[in-house]
Amino acid sequence: MPRRYMTLEDVQRAGGPEIIVDEETTVTPQALEFAEGAGITIRTSAGAYSAPHPDRGPDAELAMRELPHLPEPRDSVDGQPHETGAIVTAVGRNRPGVLAEITVALAELGANVLDVSQKMIGGYFHLIVTVDFAQGRSFEEAKAKLSCLGGEGDYVVRVMHERVFRFMHRV
Amino acid sequence: MPLTDREILETIRMFELETLDIRTTTLGISLFDCADPDLESTCEKVYTKVLSHARDLVAVADSIAGDYGVPIVNRRIAVTPISFIAAASGAQDLVPIARAMDAAADEVGVDYIGGFSAYVHKGFTRSDAALFDSIPAALAGTDHVCASVSLASTRAGINMDAVVRFAKVVKDTAQLTRDEGGIGCAKLVCFCNAVEDNPFVAGAHIGPGEPETVLNVGVSGPGVVRSALERLGPEADLVAVAETVKRTAFKITRMGELVGREAARRLGTTFGIVDVSLAPTPAVGDSVAHCLELIGVDRTGAPGTTAALALLTDAVKKGGAMASSRVGGLSGAFIPVSEDQGMIDAVRAGTLSLAKLEAMSAVCSVGLDMVAVPGDTSAAVLAGVIADQLAIGMVNSKTTAVRIIPVPGKGPGETVEWGGLLGTAIVQDVGPAGCEVFHGRGGRIPAPLQSYRN
Repeated sequence: MPRRYMTLEDVQRAGGPEIIVDEETTVTPQALEFAEGAGITIRTSAGAYSAPHPDRGPDAELAMRELPHLPEPRDSVDGQPHETGAIVTAVGRNRPGVLAEITVALAELGANVLDVSQKMIGGYFHLIVTVDFAQGRSFEEAKAKLSCLGGEGDYVVRVMHERVFRFMHRV
Repeated sequence: MPLTDREILETIRMFELETLDIRTTTLGISLFDCADPDLESTCEKVYTKVLSHARDLVAVADSIAGDYGVPIVNRRIAVTPISFIAAASGAQDLVPIARAMDAAADEVGVDYIGGFSAYVHKGFTRSDAALFDSIPAALAGTDHVCASVSLASTRAGINMDAVVRFAKVVKDTAQLTRDEGGIGCAKLVCFCNAVEDNPFVAGAHIGPGEPETVLNVGVSGPGVVRSALERLGPEADLVAVAETVKRTAFKITRMGELVGREAARRLGTTFGIVDVSLAPTPAVGDSVAHCLELIGVDRTGAPGTTAALALLTDAVKKGGAMASSRVGGLSGAFIPVSEDQGMIDAVRAGTLSLAKLEAMSAVCSVGLDMVAVPGDTSAAVLAGVIADQLAIGMVNSKTTAVRIIPVPGKGPGETVEWGGLLGTAIVQDVGPAGCEVFHGRGGRIPAPLQSYRN
């Protein structure tokens, strides 16, 4: 197994103009600083030293193979989970044009509407739209755009990944 | 079956109105490979390893919170007990390691790093003794470091020599942080039957059986349980209450399972456990005491409180166990007095005494937590309170913990404000009698019989 760390003490002890370390060896920031000040070059056999990718351990390698195979809750018997799906909800005071504002924004985001449901209670409405965002569109972008709609005293839009709902209500 | 409007609105309500959140994503990092004969080198390795592994933790947690719309309140780090790592150096003063942990935590942007810890339920190594001596200065001199010690277990009994020593550590820590109401003690906890995968501070650390790195998740949600109990109303019988809590805990835990899977995948590490604990905060509505009061006691601490808490804790565990195969940590209900508005009110109203808290700890998931006592409480009395609590854990084969703060300069009934998540405490009376002879005996309380249990 290659040496895990090279410390300040190791560099001081080694001395010399050049120290060659294994690619998996982590040189501590203190050691790097000292080496730079003392004009000592630290490198690997392949070239300049760069901090190795953190070794998460043997179990992590197994986990990366196993995690994708964990059972995923489904929301219908034959339906596939929509990895790009989201549930958009809006609650607020009803007025002409609310639905249009929201659906226009969704269209601009390239969202495919899978289901719409709207209910009125008194002068207030709540709207639930299940959408599938086009591949490549970031969820973050959709959330930012939709959250800007409405406002205080008007209506509020929330966007959540549909996986959240599947996990909470399906096994 | 497609998701119904009702299910969708229920989830939205939990997040928006009932303060459901992922309380913590805690990255466990083994530090065994940081042991070095030279203390300075140990510190360098600890700093470097924590930094390299936890560098992405905050960004990953933020990205999950953004992508899923699920709030993740805290990002934390748990490490191998430092007494194991420091042993090779033979150093007497381990404060430099605490500083290295603190610097790394600061750099990666987490609020706490747990693991300035030792296991001494059977006895001390030289390194354990050095760690005990270093705790007060380590906690007073750092912002993010938390310390925990294992003083007892059902298999080993109670190490009373360690309890006596720990009581002195508590007193010294309070004294060193006297200008801030003894706040150092809020980052210090002792355990009976310590769990090795606890993601919650102050007891977070990863035990020797844990992998190189592991992602553990703590989910909470007293606000959600409280609302469900409110909707259930006072007419429902206790089976209906238990069922309601169980179903709610199931849904909360599923969020932990989702976030845990995703965080582990994005960090490229092992998914450890989901700790489903009703962990209160001083925020309005986020109170375990209010849940107990909705079950039917007039005020927390009144007769019936222990029974109601037993029901609550058990139902949370059952719901959690159905929702995830990875339930672990301390799962259940926490009763940190200063962090729970309902408990603070109960202490102020005189219904929640130290004795009642001790009884409640027999059925909650941890123990005496965030309890303020007078600053002049003797080390002997502190040791007695701690030993009582550990005895409950030892005999009942459960985890119990003590996080007690002797607030310098304050007497019974006085208020101390720690602010933030730590909240407000009212100093509680420890009573007029002491236990000097018991304290002076030292030695060990032998492990209890596991049979003849009545």
